Parts: sequence; C-alpha cells; structure tokens
Amino acid sequence: MSAVLSLTPSYYEALKQLTLELAGVKLGTDHAFLIETRLSSLARTEGFDTLKEMIEELFKTGQSRLAVQVVSSLLERDTHFNTDLPSFNKLYDVIIPQLQPIHKNGTIRILSFGCSSGQEPYSIAMALDKTKEEYPNLNFEIVGVDYPSSALDRAKVGRYSHFDVQRGLPIQDLITYFNKENEDWTIKPDLKNKVTFEETHLLSNLDQLGDFHVVLFRNSLPHYSSPAQVRVLRGLSGLVKPLGYLLLGSGETLNHINFGFDPITHEDSIFRKRPEKIEAEPIDPNIKVPNGKKTFDKAKRKLRGIDEFTNAKPSQTQTG
Amino acid sequence: MTTCLVVDDSRMIRRVASRILKDLKFETSEAENGQDAIDKCRIDMPDAILLDWNMPVMDGLDFLKELRQDPEGKLPVVVFCTAERDVLKITQALEAGADEYIMKPFDSDIIESKFQQAGLI
Repeated sequence: MSAVLSLTPSYYEALKQLTLELAGVKLGTDHAFLIETRLSSLARTEGFDTLKEMIEELFKTGQSRLAVQVVSSLLERDTHFNTDLPSFNKLYDVIIPQLQPIHKNGTIRILSFGCSSGQEPYSIAMALDKTKEEYPNLNFEIVGVDYPSSALDRAKVGRYSHFDVQRGLPIQDLITYFNKENEDWTIKPDLKNKVTFEETHLLSNLDQLGDFHVVLFRNSLPHYSSPAQVRVLRGLSGLVKPLGYLLLGSGETLNHINFGFDPITHEDSIFRKRPEKIEAEPIDPNIKVPNGKKTFDKAKRKLRGIDEFTNAKPSQTQTG
Repeated sequence: MTTCLVVDDSRMIRRVASRILKDLKFETSEAENGQDAIDKCRIDMPDAILLDWNMPVMDGLDFLKELRQDPEGKLPVVVFCTAERDVLKITQALEAGADEYIMKPFDSDIIESKFQQAGLI
C-alpha cells in the first residue's frame, strides 16, 4: 500500500477532518486510495509537482480557495443517469400529478441538491420532456447545485463520456437528447437550456437559490454526520415552498425530526411541506468556512496529534 | 433461469460477455455469426440475445431482421453490442427491432444497466 500511496496516514486523517468540518461529510476509513487518486489529479491541475506538496501548502497557508477545491474533489460522486429509479420515478408518478392541478399554466421549480456532474438534473429534464403532451401548459425550471468542482464544470458543459451515457440511460434517450461529438456525447441545446447550475456551499445559507416546489436530495444524507444532517435538512426546509415536496433516496428518512414536512402515506422517501410557512431556524452565522481559523486549527491538530503518535510509537515499542 | 444467446465472432468477447451474464444469473449459450445464431434460435429460442453487428457469414442486422420475421422471433429481447457508435447505425438497429444498444468497449456495469433498461433484470 505504501508503495502506491504518497501521503502518510496523518495527512489522510487531517483531510478527513477538513472534509467533516467544511462539508459535514464523513469519509470512510477505506478512502485513502480515493483521496490519493482524486487529489493527484487536482494537484497537477493546480500546478504542484506532487500531491504531498499541495497538501503541505494547504495546511501551511490555510488557503481557502484550495481548501474548497480539495474538499470538492473529495466529495465528487460517481453518479448515473436515472439513478435509484424507485425513488426517481416518484417525481413524475406522484409529485408532478399532485402539483399539476395547482399550477396548471404555471412554472414548477425543481432543485437537484448535490447534483455532482449533472446526470440527475438532466434526467429530470428528459423525464419531464416526455410529459409535454400530458401537461402542455406546465413549465419547468430545473436547477442543479453543488460545491464548485470539476464535476460541476462538466455538468455545465453537458458533455459525457461513452461510459457515462451507457449507465442508466436508455438508448432511445441517448439519440433523442444528445449529439455525438467525437468520442463524447453532449446534451442537445433544447434540453440543456432547461437546466441551470449554481455553485454553492451546501451547508451555507441557501436563501439566494430562491424557493422550489420540489427538492431532490437523494442518496447523500447517510454520508453526512448527524449535526450536518440536521443542518442540511433545515436548510432544505427553507427552500421548499409550502405544500412543496422533498424527495429523498429510497429508504431514506428525516430521522425523527420533521423539519416542517409530513411523510406522504404509502410513499417511501417523499415528504410534503406543511401549508403554513414555517421559518427555518437561522443558520449559524459562524458556519465554518474554508478560511476559518478554527477549521484549519482542528484539522492541523489532527495532523500534529497523529504525527506525534506515529513518531512516538517506535520508541515505545523498543522500550517494551 | 433467463436464457441469453451471445452472438459475436470474437471468442474472447463471447467469453467475457458470458461470464458477466452468468454473474447476473443468466444461462448463456454462444453463436459465432448471424447464421449460427439463426440455427440455434430454431432449436431453442432464448429469452435474450446479445448481438454483435459486424460478423462474417451473416451480420447482426441481417440476423435481427430475419429473427423478427419469425413469429417466435418477436419475443427475445435483443441488445446490440457493437463497436458501431454512429447515431444513424443506432437508429437503424432500433428500427430493425433492437430493444437496447451497447457501444463497445463495455464493462459489467454497462451490461447490467442495459439489461435493466431492457427489462431483463
């Protein structure tokens, strides 16, 4: 393992701590290889000779832009088109039919929260495009948000590899909604124009995004620490309009706190916002931001503590 | 157990695809060109066919057209698996009666995803 990986265990612990502090996400114990591969690519892009050099620079200077890049790279998810179909299908089987009578000729705003490289918002756009005959006067605005990252940049361009378009995407949708460009496939302009992307810190104040009739936050919640789960769900609660919907992944729940939502009877993973406008509790104004001294101090303490432990261990063993 | 006939002139591709399909709980058999596949379908019609395009003797498109003319041949789910990536070729395959389409190179995730799309898993 040490022949392949260039960072010492203390750096992995420090990076895991930084990710937890900044994004509320717990990286697993088996993430060393993932950290190495994701960040090696970032180090090259950022102009460092080695990954170690970039990480040393990060913890030495506490550079906020680099911290965001590092954490965003670590959070990139391998997403597929039409992922988790049992949950995804509920958007047009359950939610849209319930919203349509209320918004007959209006616009339904849909948010894909944590959209990574954009497969979810584009899958939504394709699914809803197929309902045009059923709901001819209904308009849709689809917004994808995530941390600034190379994945989000790919989403904005709407360009996908040969492998990407063969995971979860029916062949008929590929030839209907994509153009072939050399070895890649790009979303056709008509569909692309229905989706916009925004960069945001997912645990920050989300008010600038506006409010939505439907928010999809699927298959991410279990990766968050318990306090971060509360924070992110509280933030999402503030984004969903009264009587709007929150769609989680299959089998995911709100963990005993309702956040102003009620579950839909017999429908796993769908939650409806209560009619009265419930003000979400204000977000902690001292939210940890990348250049926050506390964040780096905590991660650095982790780094130092483990280094001290690692350095001390051999002599203790010898003594014994 | 769902049966799948793997049709490809490359023995290596047949072997790799069969192994992936066996892991997905399919019972597999193999044919090395369209004519061989026609002969095997006449003896025992499979539930699914994974079909290459460019093969000697009879290519995949001619095989598919002939298969779909047979009343029994309308039933198998046909998934093309070919190096042809042109939109016109894909359209041609779908018009001839293909249910799904895999562009080589493929991996187990792609086969699983496409067989799910085709309702086989």
